[in-house]
Amino acid sequence: MYRVDSKTGKQKFYSTAGFQSIVSALISICIGLIVGMIIVIVVGLTREEISPKGMVEGVKLVFFGLFSTGRVENELTFGFNPANIGNMLFRGIPLIMTGLSVAVAFKTGLFNIGAPGQYLMSTAATLYVALVVPTDTIPAWLVWIFAFAAGIIAGALWGAIPGLLKATLNINEVITCIMTNWIAANLVTWFFDARDYLKNSGESGKIGYVKPTALNGVETAKMGLDKLFPGSQINGGIIIAIIIAILIYILMTKTTFGYMLKACGSNRHAAKYAGINDKVSIVASMAIAGALSGAGAALYYLSGHTEFYWSTYMSLPAEGFNGIPVALLASNHPIGVIFTGVFMSLLNIDGLMLKSLTAYNEFIADIIIAAIVYLSAFSMIIKQLIGRKNKKAGETNVNDETDAEALAAQKAIAEAAAKKTAEVQADAEGGNK
Amino acid sequence: MILLIQQTMIYAIPLMIVALAGIFAERSGVINLALEGIMIFGAFIGVLFVRTMQENQVFTQEQGQILMLLAFLVSSVCGALFSLLLSFSAITLKADQTIGGTALNLLAPAIVLFFINIIAQQNVLMMYTGDAASWFMIKPSTFGYERGHEFGLLGSLFLDKVYLTTYLCLIIFVVLSVILYKTKFGLRLRSCGENPQASDSLGINVYKMRYIGTTISGALAGAGGFTYALTTSNCASTGEVAGYGFLALAVMIFGNWTPLNVALGGILFGLFKCIAATYASLDINGDGVYMLAEIGVSPYVYRLLPYLITLIVLAFTSKKSRVPKAEGIPYDKGQR
Amino acid sequence: MSEYVIEMRHIRKEFPGIVANDDITLQLKKGEIHALLGENGAGKSTLMSVLFGLYQPEEGEILKDGKPVKINNPNDATDLGIGMVHQHFKLIDVFTVLDNIILGAETTKFGFLQKKEARKKVLELSEKYGLKVDIDAKVEDITVGMQQRVEILKMLYRENEILIFDEPTAVLTPQEIDELMEVMRGFAKEGKSILFISHKLNEIMAVSDRVTVLHKGKCVGTVNTKDVTKQELSTMMVGRPVQLEIEKKPAEPKDVILNVEGLTVSSKIHKTEAVKNVSFSVRGGEIVCIAGIDGNGQSELVYGITGLEKASSGKITLCGKDISNASIRKRSMTGMSHIAEDRHKHGLILDFTLEENFVLQKFRDKEFQNHGFIKFGAVRKYAERLIEEYDVRSGQGPVTVVRSMSGGNQQKAIIARELDRDEPLVVAVQPTRGLDVGAIEHIHKQLVAERDKGRAVLLVSLEMDEVMSLSDRILVMYEGEIVGELDPAKTNPQELGLYMAGAKRQDKEVE
Repeated sequence: MYRVDSKTGKQKFYSTAGFQSIVSALISICIGLIVGMIIVIVVGLTREEISPKGMVEGVKLVFFGLFSTGRVENELTFGFNPANIGNMLFRGIPLIMTGLSVAVAFKTGLFNIGAPGQYLMSTAATLYVALVVPTDTIPAWLVWIFAFAAGIIAGALWGAIPGLLKATLNINEVITCIMTNWIAANLVTWFFDARDYLKNSGESGKIGYVKPTALNGVETAKMGLDKLFPGSQINGGIIIAIIIAILIYILMTKTTFGYMLKACGSNRHAAKYAGINDKVSIVASMAIAGALSGAGAALYYLSGHTEFYWSTYMSLPAEGFNGIPVALLASNHPIGVIFTGVFMSLLNIDGLMLKSLTAYNEFIADIIIAAIVYLSAFSMIIKQLIGRKNKKAGETNVNDETDAEALAAQKAIAEAAAKKTAEVQADAEGGNK
Repeated sequence: MILLIQQTMIYAIPLMIVALAGIFAERSGVINLALEGIMIFGAFIGVLFVRTMQENQVFTQEQGQILMLLAFLVSSVCGALFSLLLSFSAITLKADQTIGGTALNLLAPAIVLFFINIIAQQNVLMMYTGDAASWFMIKPSTFGYERGHEFGLLGSLFLDKVYLTTYLCLIIFVVLSVILYKTKFGLRLRSCGENPQASDSLGINVYKMRYIGTTISGALAGAGGFTYALTTSNCASTGEVAGYGFLALAVMIFGNWTPLNVALGGILFGLFKCIAATYASLDINGDGVYMLAEIGVSPYVYRLLPYLITLIVLAFTSKKSRVPKAEGIPYDKGQR
Repeated sequence: MSEYVIEMRHIRKEFPGIVANDDITLQLKKGEIHALLGENGAGKSTLMSVLFGLYQPEEGEILKDGKPVKINNPNDATDLGIGMVHQHFKLIDVFTVLDNIILGAETTKFGFLQKKEARKKVLELSEKYGLKVDIDAKVEDITVGMQQRVEILKMLYRENEILIFDEPTAVLTPQEIDELMEVMRGFAKEGKSILFISHKLNEIMAVSDRVTVLHKGKCVGTVNTKDVTKQELSTMMVGRPVQLEIEKKPAEPKDVILNVEGLTVSSKIHKTEAVKNVSFSVRGGEIVCIAGIDGNGQSELVYGITGLEKASSGKITLCGKDISNASIRKRSMTGMSHIAEDRHKHGLILDFTLEENFVLQKFRDKEFQNHGFIKFGAVRKYAERLIEEYDVRSGQGPVTVVRSMSGGNQQKAIIARELDRDEPLVVAVQPTRGLDVGAIEHIHKQLVAERDKGRAVLLVSLEMDEVMSLSDRILVMYEGEIVGELDPAKTNPQELGLYMAGAKRQDKEVE
């Protein structure tokens, strides 16, 4: 709860856990970007269709795609691009939420790899409510709230299933999350497959997509952000996401409820011994995680203009899995998640810029993200190593106290005994002779 | 009925060897969540190999079987190499295996789609020329008979319109299962997944065994990925295998980490998969599937059944589960 | 030919921040039983791991028959004829006994296992040394005693001549211990050399020819067993004269605090009843000890009393209130402190700070929370008081992460938390396990002090000495039943052993 000693205040910033986390995150990000750059360069050198100039442009966009303002007279131009920044923030919303979902679960000792499933279930619930409840009789803002609530509840319920199985039967949540993900993928496809009235027809939109909620007049308020970032999809969802992150931070660090969840996550048995209801805690953790993923999907699709490709049984939404790197990079800190979520979104913007302006494509962003996840698996180990070293040093100090005295006393007895032994041996040998 | 059995085999057998891939990793003590990613990678490599060979006219259509076997080999080798990323983080660096596996699952489609888009300027990488059936399928003409030659019941079941990879996978499955249970190597590998401290005290190199287990796992998953692409996607790579790797994970859990049960699970889930996939296709109607279509159950039900069944099985057998005790726990020589 | 089969000279082994072995010399003669004595953490296991090739020493050399050898891994050790029965058995639970014995030393043909010859050899060895095992049973299904025989057979199967026994008696009944001693003497007579690691003086006096004593990583000396007394050995081991007996006044039992009637608890793992129809009571001002060999239902009895496990039948009354069906929290609020068996698993949250651990039960009390928000200032103050009063030492005070503390101080923290709650009943399960003698003395004194304050203490212990010296009444558990109630003043370890082994029982109902 309180890492820094408030009384002495002696702990310096560079030795705190928070600082170590930030450094290791930055290292992961740098290596990830370098991996992306190397791939761009290698591909550029080996493929004929990519000119050296194209290759250099690719590298530039990997790092500064956010500030790309397009192409003028065959040269890339850079500068402040409000549309890109707005879109980055908008696309960051679901990432922040699924990142929070994974982070809360991690803090309570659970690996929520089920975020994609929770996200999908929430998507279906949100879209259904937002499209079906008539806005001519009920005010649109109320429908928005209903839809948002429906998404959160759907996510929470879906998240609670692995929680329940873990709490009651002690089944590993990773396995159950994977299973529920794919069940969700099929359920959602089935749901929309059977409901043509929710689908966009060929005339009014793209085929294979569900209607955007704006068609029913339901969309998130812009809160003036569209003026700040003209030409982007940004809306008030980002503010809601940030508020939720702060609330989660308070819940996890300042309240008895958060303490209970963390205690249970750190050591279920000890928590149970201390009279904490471990089963309720585990289910609650997973339900909160599910609710957060759900909120992410709800905020994303309630923007009013995002369309959902409903035939999703073949693959799971990337937003769900990308919650894992978002949480890992932030060392599961709810406030940190806001920044890492936006950063992941930045990579996506870079990818899109690459696709539209060069011969490369947007998947480079996914490669960088995957590299970062891979690296964050070790960064935890590195941090643990630092911790372990400190511990061993501490232990010796506590133990050695009256060593010298003790040894002197022991040596005396030992010597006496050894003398005796020697005598006995001499006797014995003498006897033998 | 023949078609139904053949189609089920096409789905079931890759499923079995990918599940066996899971067994080899987990029995050595490494959780391999990356089966899906390795399959995607293996499928891409195999297809790319076929395409490149065709492009350079190394093989003729008559030599299709050789080309296919080579592609099978190449994709298994590359799957093994790809899995080294997991072994390295999980075994040498003692990192969290679940996160490592997830990273590979994210990395594989990203890298594959990136290169497919560079190579083909679209999201699908296909054969350079012809299709999987004309190049690689075993037909009467493969044996020198004319088209439409009747093989008899068993013949048409096992020799007509089948892929050699299916039998190859079956043989590999049997051989590796025997190795796992009847040899010194198998005994030692299994010990590392149960109690690596004990193995180490008996002079068994736990790190080496785990590397071998995970590498075999990678090879099998890579080959399984190519087989899947070849037999169900017309030898095309799209950066996904439709959750097949996770389905294999479900089969492994359903089969309680033992090859015999995994074979049964593979056939059962392969059947579901087959029904779901061929539900709407006309040529198979009149066969067993037609009846199932008549029942009116959505194909999505068959698609989600394996996962649901696995959940239920897990719930009922959680107490008796044979999950390797040391799986997922990095082995640290210093701690005992 | 050297006089010694194995000589370890001036061995030094360091771990980050700690010197586990510092200039230790150990010489083992052919055909002798050589004991290695030391407290927990004295460096015995490290030294043996060096000999067995699990660790490489920074300094020093190892000689076999006078010739220097390099032992890089257990394979080298096996080649030199060194075998080891580890304190925590190194067995694969789901393998059969036979598979466990051959693992690592398999005979094969084209890589395929040849179990027929192995089976014959194992059966012969088992016959010859009287080590009865069920060769086709899975290890998880056999008793601990048999598991140990499997470990011994593993060494014999590899034809080892130098046998290391690491704390082999901890899990055995007194009768099984006698059998083991006999087997060990038999090996020595045959010319095998034995290293016997222990911290139990009685056993060392009984079986060994010579003793090497370690203390805090250093070698105190090597002596002939018959030339020293128990008292001298214990002084060598601890570094100062030790009170083998605890001073305490006779108990003054008061009202019944805990009453258990017909308690039956089923086992978690097996479907059987781990505790069968047990009845007893504990009064204020007395220490009642549940004695018994590990695994005879003591843990489950405690689970039943503390509420971790649902009792299938029976009635538990605490301070006059029926708590048979109450939750864990309810029970602890009614008046129960619990010093858990496994402090890492059940007692502490290792990744939490000390102050967070102190309020593990109390964080929901008005004292520490306000509308669901934690009062951090109050928590800090409380932690500082406990640290002061119970002398809990740690690097950073209240904000120390508990994982970084020494075992003794972790246990002190638990005891501080539990005793400070001032509940009438203290349930203490193996409160001194794995601690050094100083810490053990301290904890024993504290428990006696609590008794003198009028609290009821229910102590579960596996250590014979602890049982004999600390308790006012002894209840012996065997296979889930209480088979005898003994007065420590009127009994002796031998009699207690017979009860613990199930060879003797009082037929009258125990009150």
